Amino acid sequence: MSDIKINRRDFIKLTVAGVTVLAGSQIIRHAQALETLTSNGRQWAMVIDQSKCTGCGYCTLACRAHNDIPPEISWNVVTKTGTVGGQDVYIARPCMQCAHAPCVDVCPVRASTYRPDGIVKMDYDRCIGCRYCEIACPYGARSFNWKQFDGPNPSVPEWGQPEVARRPRGVVEKCSFCYQRIDRGLALGLTPGIDEDATPACAVVCPVGARQFGDLNDPESNVSKLLHGRTSYRLRDDLGTSPRVYYLSATEEPQS
Amino acid sequence: MKIRLPKFTPMKIILPVFTPWMAWIGGLAVVLAAGMAAGLMVLWKGLSLTNLTDLVPWGLWITIDLSSIAMSAGAFSLCAVVYLLGLKRYQAVARTATFIGLIGYTMAVLTLLLDIGRPDRFWHAMIYWNEHSVLWEVTMCVTFYLAVLALEAMPIFAGFGWLRSHWPKLAQKMSRVHHYAPYLAIAGLALSMLHQSSLGALYGVLKARPLWYRPDISVLFIISAIAGGMSLTVFASMLSARLTRHANVDNNILDRVSHIIGWVLVVYLYFRFWDALAMTYTYQPGRTEGLHLLTGGSLSFNFWISEILLGAVVPIILLLNKRTRSLPSWRMLAMALVVVGVVAYRWDTNLSGLMIILSYLPGEPAVAYTAYRPSLIEILTGAGIVSYGLLAFSLGVRYLKVVDHNVVKVHAVESKVIEAILVPGD
Repeated sequence: MSDIKINRRDFIKLTVAGVTVLAGSQIIRHAQALETLTSNGRQWAMVIDQSKCTGCGYCTLACRAHNDIPPEISWNVVTKTGTVGGQDVYIARPCMQCAHAPCVDVCPVRASTYRPDGIVKMDYDRCIGCRYCEIACPYGARSFNWKQFDGPNPSVPEWGQPEVARRPRGVVEKCSFCYQRIDRGLALGLTPGIDEDATPACAVVCPVGARQFGDLNDPESNVSKLLHGRTSYRLRDDLGTSPRVYYLSATEEPQS
Repeated sequence: MKIRLPKFTPMKIILPVFTPWMAWIGGLAVVLAAGMAAGLMVLWKGLSLTNLTDLVPWGLWITIDLSSIAMSAGAFSLCAVVYLLGLKRYQAVARTATFIGLIGYTMAVLTLLLDIGRPDRFWHAMIYWNEHSVLWEVTMCVTFYLAVLALEAMPIFAGFGWLRSHWPKLAQKMSRVHHYAPYLAIAGLALSMLHQSSLGALYGVLKARPLWYRPDISVLFIISAIAGGMSLTVFASMLSARLTRHANVDNNILDRVSHIIGWVLVVYLYFRFWDALAMTYTYQPGRTEGLHLLTGGSLSFNFWISEILLGAVVPIILLLNKRTRSLPSWRMLAMALVVVGVVAYRWDTNLSGLMIILSYLPGEPAVAYTAYRPSLIEILTGAGIVSYGLLAFSLGVRYLKVVDHNVVKVHAVESKVIEAILVPGD
């Protein structure tokens, strides 16, 4: 019988220890939420104007160069969706940076997290490569590094210079809204969406200005003005993911 | 040249070594070695050696993973029956199931280690918690349950002759773990109820995959796991008893367990029926195509024949009919079929969801199909992991007497004697 008594006491001790650990982790979580409130209220978003996009694919190439992506992976995919009034219509798909991202929910190690400014960030040192996020993402925005990418990047230097470290074999990667450019730009006093050095590479390279970038919470930003003036839509809005990438449909008359 | 001649003479020594047992163990060792070589290749060269893609990132290995965990469900269900419902007569079967469970979970962990891109970071889930993630919960439960199974299997390992003669005190301590069996059974039941169903929820929570996005998968996963796990235990016990004198079974007990399995299968088929039928009404992009893949497409043979007919309907008939159930050959056939059905269900569930690609483009939701066939490396590593399981079980039967329906009766008497001696001392 003594066995049972000791066991019960140990059991209670273990339970208390477990609850303490859980509570601790929750406190850390709330501390992170506080950080969100102090992000100066910036919420980055991208507006892609399909009435302007010509499907040239420069965005994909600039993205590959600036983020040092292997040729078999695209963080930004351009697809032809049909024709409107005899003109081909294309859709460019970066990561949607969802406000309710399935990838963040399913990651078993919290390698995908929300930055205070809304960008869904990947921690490549933490990812274990289970690929659950790939399966959960409704947009196919995630790619797994099946091989080690070594050797020269064919998009460099023609389309730009790498600004981030290459990902190792065995982790999942995705578009980051070029937050390395945003962060560095803000530190230099630049405005993302206005100043090229603080704006995602795809938006900078676009020869027809089909991509606009800016702060949703700033009513004077490019994106706020565009979204205010025209009807926009988001991909698979029905899923409730709340993407931060908005599209202006090609069915409308081209506007300046 | 003359010096070498005597080496060829002792033919008499070579012949008796080649018993069926040795052939079996030798064959398994060869497959295991091939699997290990393939596994090392994967660790060295990476997952590009597989036929997995960004569209089908989970394939054969995840099926082995899910199946070996499902096949281990006999451990928690039978331990709960013995220690929580107090039906001591199933104790010997629970002992076999516990051993199979320990093997099954180690198989699952081995497969997972290969399947993740960064096996060196396997421990990250322990440190970087994401309580929102079903996969995190599964990882934690599997880890804890593996520990529970190791403790539950302690008394089995304590029976190893070599250990008893060389480390008698350790063996004695290990067999004392048996006293905690009811607590371990509670922990095992809780952990298994969580992750056996969560493995289904892993698929069920994904809104992006309309075929999976339904609550039923988790329920179906745990019910099929209970049926499959108990079936494998009964099948392995009966087969061992037929093949070796190191194993012996009580046919009455196995008959009762088989009867239970028959009814579990009825419940499973009932839920499965409503689950599938509910999906047939109205067209839903992605879901309807996925269902058609199962009922009429490339997975239809697997679905109708392996899962439904052979995996559920035939075993139900064989197991609920007293005459066929009491005949060992028919019962064994039924048990084997249940196992096949559960494995097929895991394979189909995974692939039917992945092979359908629902477009994110605006307007009419377009659906595309993809295909998957495991590569040779995937098959070899899979075969290696399965033969590790078979090897471990075979050695267990021979040296640990894991299928011995007499030994537990003796143990029970022993433990009562030990208690009787110890109580006055307290």
